[in-house]
Amino acid sequence: MRFKTLITTLSAALLLSGGIVGAQTVGPQGESATPSSTVTVSDDKVASLKAGNYKAALLWHDQSDFVNAVTAGATDEFTRLGIEVVATTSAGFDAAKQRSDIETALAKKPNIILSLPLDPVTSAAAFKEAKDNGVKLVFLSNLPKDYKHPSDYAAIVTDDLFQMGKQAADALAKAMGGKGTVGWIFHDAAYYVTNQRDNAFKTTIEKDYPDIKIVAEQGISDPARAEDIANAMLLKNPDIGGIYVTWAGPAEGVLSALRSNGNKTTKIVTLDLSEPIALDMVKGGNVAAIVADEAYELGRAMAAAGARALAGEETPPFVVAPALAVTADTVLEGWMKSLHRDAPASVMKAKQ
Amino acid sequence: MRRFDLQQYVVYLGFLAIFLFFAITLSDDGFLTSRNLSNIVLQTAPATIMAIGLVFVLSAGEIDLSFGSIVAVSALSAAVVMQDHSMLAGILAGLGAGLAIGWFNGFLVAFLHLPSFLVTLATLGLFAGVARTMTDLRSIPVVNDGFTGFFGSGALAGVPSLVWWTLGAIIIGHIVYRESRFGAHVIATGDNPRAAQVSGIKVPRIRLAVLMISGGCAGLAGLLYAGRLQAAKYTLGESDLMTVIAAVIVGGTALNGGKGSVIGALVGSLLMGMLNNGLILMGLAVSDQMIVRGLIILTAVAVSLRDVNR
Repeated sequence: MRFKTLITTLSAALLLSGGIVGAQTVGPQGESATPSSTVTVSDDKVASLKAGNYKAALLWHDQSDFVNAVTAGATDEFTRLGIEVVATTSAGFDAAKQRSDIETALAKKPNIILSLPLDPVTSAAAFKEAKDNGVKLVFLSNLPKDYKHPSDYAAIVTDDLFQMGKQAADALAKAMGGKGTVGWIFHDAAYYVTNQRDNAFKTTIEKDYPDIKIVAEQGISDPARAEDIANAMLLKNPDIGGIYVTWAGPAEGVLSALRSNGNKTTKIVTLDLSEPIALDMVKGGNVAAIVADEAYELGRAMAAAGARALAGEETPPFVVAPALAVTADTVLEGWMKSLHRDAPASVMKAKQ
Repeated sequence: MRRFDLQQYVVYLGFLAIFLFFAITLSDDGFLTSRNLSNIVLQTAPATIMAIGLVFVLSAGEIDLSFGSIVAVSALSAAVVMQDHSMLAGILAGLGAGLAIGWFNGFLVAFLHLPSFLVTLATLGLFAGVARTMTDLRSIPVVNDGFTGFFGSGALAGVPSLVWWTLGAIIIGHIVYRESRFGAHVIATGDNPRAAQVSGIKVPRIRLAVLMISGGCAGLAGLLYAGRLQAAKYTLGESDLMTVIAAVIVGGTALNGGKGSVIGALVGSLLMGMLNNGLILMGLAVSDQMIVRGLIILTAVAVSLRDVNR
């Protein structure tokens, strides 16, 4: 299994990389990764958890398919353990709103909080009261500054970010026959999740594919500008073989630029499932592959980590859920595995 | 006059009705705890201060869409300056940034006769960009305990500092708006600028002043955010535009000028905060929270605007 290699090679990778852009996914503080499949609540603990009448709050950063799937995974696991979900919030990427959401949710006295801290700096103060009240905190992807495991939080759970970027590189290289030129559209912000994925793509292309050259690099912070960026990239590199786009939202803009240029040859690879992107892929358009995460499994592991902490069991500091490369052939299974629901009707229809 | 009074009551009645609704339905969910009620006031403090500035701007017949960006620039200015300098320098930098941007807006509107809607729409984007560039999208921690106490987590006589700020700003805002000559001139300008000009009011100066007040209020809101979060980030204030406009309009200030209420804006802002709070405590899914909040705001605005435009 890939994860075992991941863990055994981790120390070496950390030494080589200084822990910033590792050859594998490492935690925000350089923690080694534990596969999510090993984070479970044993049956003998279920009865005592049920008797505790525990409560949980899900304080998300935003709303999306991904968050819905994480919520579904977490809620199903909490239901199995007799833990009631008493509040669900979305901060809309607003650090001040997240602070307010935490304060509001604390009025319901939750025992577990699952959350994605929007920003290490602002969230350090925001989660302080919850932490001081002994709430078991399980974080998605980011860690508030200077928080220590296990005294301050139960676990960080995230995608296998390095694998996501690497699999995107492998899929694009395969679609391009292992040679050609590539454009790299990365997220231009200090944001752990996208930075790790973007850099893993770049590292993999540079190291593993000597016949593929990255000829254009462009950062993006506003997804609405993706089409303009792609148009400029195509103008300068009309015969570019492939484009990596940091996530599906801006990839829709890139796709639209390719279409309006009448370009049918440039391949796109992007991260996170999206209906328009998947539809293009199934119809044999520009999209070669989408790399997704197992969001439902991620939610389940977050809930399990929180429950383990409540039951007084050890929790690993840094947990990763697997990555999943989805192509036109595997789109239906991929959708179910990632988001725990059927692919959208349009995609199903196009597959038939 | 009677109609005006009736319309003024709408926000209070709406506030009372929603408060009672949450108090009854959420009595077991901690809504009425003093902790939760004070949370609502603390959480709305920056929005309330922005709303006061907007009451002046709207009453003068102008609009300010840029205050969200001013909040971010102000908070970041204060945080950056305080990395190497004193708390006082940080406060001056934050408030100064707000007033300066307000002056810039006001100069373009008052002396170059550009419409405030377009000017502040442009500066909204302009200063959002400036805020992003200032620290390269990084968050800046605020470690000055004096500052975070004064503007965020501290308390005086057992009352949190954010409550003092809200109270102080409301009292000053209300007195200036209702009792001073300047306030009367603002309302007269919004009611009928030509008549105001003829009667000797320096209309351009009023326009400059109200946009500077709005900038200053946004600057103060930025300091409060920086104190409360113990950090500044370019996203601060970004999502406040619609909430603050809704709070002000629901609170009885006319979008087309000549009429307004500072107290109404406070109640409107508390109403928005209470809605956020209560809908979360009800355990609604996030999308449902947004739908219900939207419907309630729509109802409140419909009722409070009906009389204004008649």
